[in-house]
Amino acid sequence: MTGSRRQRVAKAVFLHAAALVVVFLMAFPLYGLLLTSLQPESVIRSRELSIIPQTLYFEHFRAVLAEGHIVPLRRALVNSTTVSALTAVLCLLVGLPAAYALSRLRVPGRNVILGALVSVYFLPTTIFLIPMFVLLVRWGIDDTVFSLVLAYTGFILPFVIWILKTFIDRLPLQIEEAARIDGCSHWQVMIRIVLPMARPGVLAAFVFAFILSWVEFLTPLIFTSSLRMTTVALGMFRSTIDIQVGQQAAAAVLTLLPVALLMLVCQRLITQVLMSGADK
Amino acid sequence: MQAVPDSPAIGGQDEWTRAPGTLRRRETAFSLSLVAPALILVAGIYLYPAVYTLILSFARFDMAALEIGRWVGLGNYKALFANAAFVDAIWRTIYFGLLIAVGATVSGFLIALLLNEEFYGRTLLRVVVVLPWAVPPVVAGVLWGQMFHADVGFVNALLFRIGLIENYRIWFGDGRTALHIIALAEVWKAIPFMVLFMLAGLQSLPPQLHEAAAVDGATAWQRFRHIVFPLMLPIIIPLMLIQFVWAMKAFDTIFVLTRGGPAGQTTTLNYFVYVEGFQSFDMGRASAAAYSLLVVTLGVVLMVTVLRRYAALRKATA
Repeated sequence: MTGSRRQRVAKAVFLHAAALVVVFLMAFPLYGLLLTSLQPESVIRSRELSIIPQTLYFEHFRAVLAEGHIVPLRRALVNSTTVSALTAVLCLLVGLPAAYALSRLRVPGRNVILGALVSVYFLPTTIFLIPMFVLLVRWGIDDTVFSLVLAYTGFILPFVIWILKTFIDRLPLQIEEAARIDGCSHWQVMIRIVLPMARPGVLAAFVFAFILSWVEFLTPLIFTSSLRMTTVALGMFRSTIDIQVGQQAAAAVLTLLPVALLMLVCQRLITQVLMSGADK
Repeated sequence: MQAVPDSPAIGGQDEWTRAPGTLRRRETAFSLSLVAPALILVAGIYLYPAVYTLILSFARFDMAALEIGRWVGLGNYKALFANAAFVDAIWRTIYFGLLIAVGATVSGFLIALLLNEEFYGRTLLRVVVVLPWAVPPVVAGVLWGQMFHADVGFVNALLFRIGLIENYRIWFGDGRTALHIIALAEVWKAIPFMVLFMLAGLQSLPPQLHEAAAVDGATAWQRFRHIVFPLMLPIIIPLMLIQFVWAMKAFDTIFVLTRGGPAGQTTTLNYFVYVEGFQSFDMGRASAAAYSLLVVTLGVVLMVTVLRRYAALRKATA
């Protein structure tokens, strides 16, 4: 008996040691970034290994958020919020009817459409960006909110349709059938029955679309040129001068924070919706 | 994805009296009107540009007039393949993609195996492992850039402290090292996705298999080698391929950490396209490079798929 007990203890020790290593590798870089953003430049520059902070210093955040900073982060936050919210709304407006039809109605060539929607995620983005940039410049709408919303909607829509369709697929058919027999049109069924039932899926799709727009980097890098139009993800790389390490960390934390908060609030919803697609 | 069987239109009383063909046509028209806006948007933003890029790859683009200047046939491709920097970038991209795919798969699988065990603090570990998922790629770049910063980075400070280096190293000064640090950032970012899907796979394995094998006296290693691993392969291989394809598209981390340098030694094909198209503004050559990237990506995916089929076939006939 003692032999198997020793084995069990050895296993527990091994598992916890492995867990500690994993925690360190996955979380420490994030902790380091947060720490850097909250330390004065003198502490950052010193060669002491300071892992537990002696003081908390919020100047970097104040500096990057101040009006007239070389990184127009305040403006960028407004831009990113506007663009991401518009994109998410547009994706739902266009994506929800499409997902409903693909899930419930007879759509000619449905499998081809679904296959095409998934396959665009495997193509390099640069293939689409070159002609889009040319067209936007030709039409004179590069460097605008509209150009970003248009591009993001195209990029994110297939994903939104996929999430919504998977979700609607799993809703029970009976309620919709009953509504149809009671004389509701397909349109009414979609708005009055499916939409309320699919609310978790719709919320998850909105959150995903918002986050994916928020973190987009290459598209605004190419489509925008003025500091006025910069987005959060891009902001700190738009200035020609390198900013201080502490301020860079603060800007990075501000880029990360909304996404992290959204993910945290919707964590269960997101994993539930995403993993439900995984078993298919 | 499983398609829901075509549900016939469930109509009201009056609708049944009409010819069924009319009804069906009306439903088709309605469903098409629902799908159309999405299709037009996606086609406008994917299909049209993809075709246009292909056409552009055979032309010289006039940036002043914003139209195709003249046709050059295979000129862009010939020029690219005569350029040593481009050919190097192809091999570098494949190496970089495989590095990330293998790195993310191995570490993701190990962490998933760990999370599949019972121990105190497992839930907390799960939350921590998923953390990098919430990190935008740009921030991942900033974060690892600061970790490996020559003056203020944690890595230098730590290695110096424990005596592994005598002087602070300039990590991004050496192309090979820099490429591996970028890959590290990408792997770190990819791990949550891999762990979640592999864990779901591990938990869907029937527990009876384990019990039966344990009763038959199989050791933990034997159970892993002959039961868990073969059963997980159909999940692992597609995940690895997805990761490879995504790694080929990596841009943000490269831009943030090295901008393709030093001396182009961390320039992958995707970054090469960006430089040609949006710094040199040679759209024709950039388009040709973009399609080369697509061909390389598809080539590797095809190769892995064929190899896997072949291996499965040999196993079946052996």
